[in-house]
Amino acid sequence: MRVLALLPDRCTGCLRCELACSYVQTGSFQPAKSVIRVSPFEGYTSYAPYTCTQCAEGWCMTACPVGAIRINAAGAKDVLDDRCVGCKLCTIACPYGTIFYDADTHKAYKCNLCDGAPACVEACPTQAIVYREAETADWLGDFAAERTARLLAQEVA
Amino acid sequence: MPTRHLIIGGGTAGLNAIRTIREEDRGASEITLVSAERPYSRMVLPYYLGQSIAESHVFTATPASLAAWKVKTLIGRRAAALDPEANALTLDDGTRVEYDDCLIATGSRAARPPIPGADGPGLHSFWTLEEARAVIAAVTPGRRVVMVGAGFISFTILNAILSRGARLTIVEVAPRILPRMVDAGCAELVAGWLTRHGVAIRTGVTVTRIEERRGTRILHVKKGEALPADVVIMATGIRTNLEWLRDSGIDMAEGGQGGILVDDHLRSSIRNVYAAGDVARGRNLITGAPEVHAIEPTAQEHGRVVGANMAGRDVAYRGSLLMNIVEVCHLDIASFGQWDDAAAEVYTAVRPDRSQYRKLLFHGGRLTGAMICGPAKDIWTTNDVGILKGLVQSGVDLSAWKSHLERNPFDIKPAFMATHNPGRLLPQTVLGRPSSSPDLPQSVNA
Repeated sequence: MRVLALLPDRCTGCLRCELACSYVQTGSFQPAKSVIRVSPFEGYTSYAPYTCTQCAEGWCMTACPVGAIRINAAGAKDVLDDRCVGCKLCTIACPYGTIFYDADTHKAYKCNLCDGAPACVEACPTQAIVYREAETADWLGDFAAERTARLLAQEVA
Repeated sequence: MPTRHLIIGGGTAGLNAIRTIREEDRGASEITLVSAERPYSRMVLPYYLGQSIAESHVFTATPASLAAWKVKTLIGRRAAALDPEANALTLDDGTRVEYDDCLIATGSRAARPPIPGADGPGLHSFWTLEEARAVIAAVTPGRRVVMVGAGFISFTILNAILSRGARLTIVEVAPRILPRMVDAGCAELVAGWLTRHGVAIRTGVTVTRIEERRGTRILHVKKGEALPADVVIMATGIRTNLEWLRDSGIDMAEGGQGGILVDDHLRSSIRNVYAAGDVARGRNLITGAPEVHAIEPTAQEHGRVVGANMAGRDVAYRGSLLMNIVEVCHLDIASFGQWDDAAAEVYTAVRPDRSQYRKLLFHGGRLTGAMICGPAKDIWTTNDVGILKGLVQSGVDLSAWKSHLERNPFDIKPAFMATHNPGRLLPQTVLGRPSSSPDLPQSVNA
């Protein structure tokens, strides 16, 4: 399956992915509604994008009481708006924090890989987000561990 | 002869078991479902009450979808007695159903306290679809609704009652609201928020008697003025439906929340009899202790594990994580795991001006419980709700992060990333395989 490979070393923190994502997912240029989120590290000197890995369990999907989350043609877990009642059970079932709730529409929403043409990939100027054939993975763990080591050392000192 | 599976109870656990059996065996076995009601999702009844969905939306199976799954149904019938030696169930109309293995998933019902007048006509519970219909008919604009009980169930229907134009008062016997879902600090913040949104809250109030006076119900209370109400909803807890098993010989826990004792495959003391959902005393993921978790996600996971085992797989259940989320007047409140643990090391933080609250509970380096509260428009701009769940679920060692989290309980995302939680969680599945899209009816003509 093609997945979103997240390559934090290339991320400049420009947030174009968030703008593009929010527009495609919710119809407005509103990074606060993006389902890909860029985290700053080391006092806003480095950044990493984070989104749904389309995990094998699909915790959100199996938790939905009305079957409103399905696997789409791109292999992504996708919320069916007309089925979702907005109960938020999926949001506490997902252990990655990558399913969200839109307070305006009262529906859950998440990365659906834009049905196979991810807008974040298109928008990223540095190929920090790449849509490619791969096993999904912990893309950010090593980067985050390295970029937080100094912070933790300072705090302990 | 194909294996004969018997599913007793058409709620979340039962339906998840059926769906999983069919995912595993593609229709090779016989399945019989005994259910007192048509299968529906209790979780979504508040949205039916709030008029954001039609009644047809609540059903989790239809005659057509059950037929497509090759499920023989006995709907409208209740289980009356189980004879594990004869592998047979007797129904309330005397029908006998034989099985090779069976699942007990008879769930819970709303409980009423022993208050004079609390069981009279015109007093409501909100648990079954039938009860929901009665509440829908009763709660109309301008009516004075009094809800007895400020627990999770009462909070799930709070928005819906307000949206129907009713005036709402909540009465709670405990000194604070949501006594089994959040701590005192969070409860205070939520109570303040609700008061500002026009909900009257009276805590520490014991209702002693409910009487009817010319169509109005008067709730007499210990100390203080009586409350008049047009509609009374009793949200005073639930009781498991296990009485019918009294003579079955199946081992059950005495007292407390009770429940059928089960092993890690959710088998009862009788090897071919499983239990799932509210009636099962399953393993707590965090403590390992046997416990009843009467919540939707536990019923789902129990049901799926039982379904896989019934279909011949060998799936051990890791245990369920206690968790709840509810939104009231656009304020989200969620708690995970052992949030009420006096032995834990606790870090809390509150931003009173933004109605935000966090609580982290540790045993050593392990996060064993968490709480998050904040306005919906704030809370969903972070990944924090699920990340808290992920940290509790993974049990990762956060020792290196504790002093940071003590100072900044709101700043959990870097700790989640840097301790490689996605990498730890990705191999985890409930059934030891990737999940399939749920096969639920898309549209239902009731």
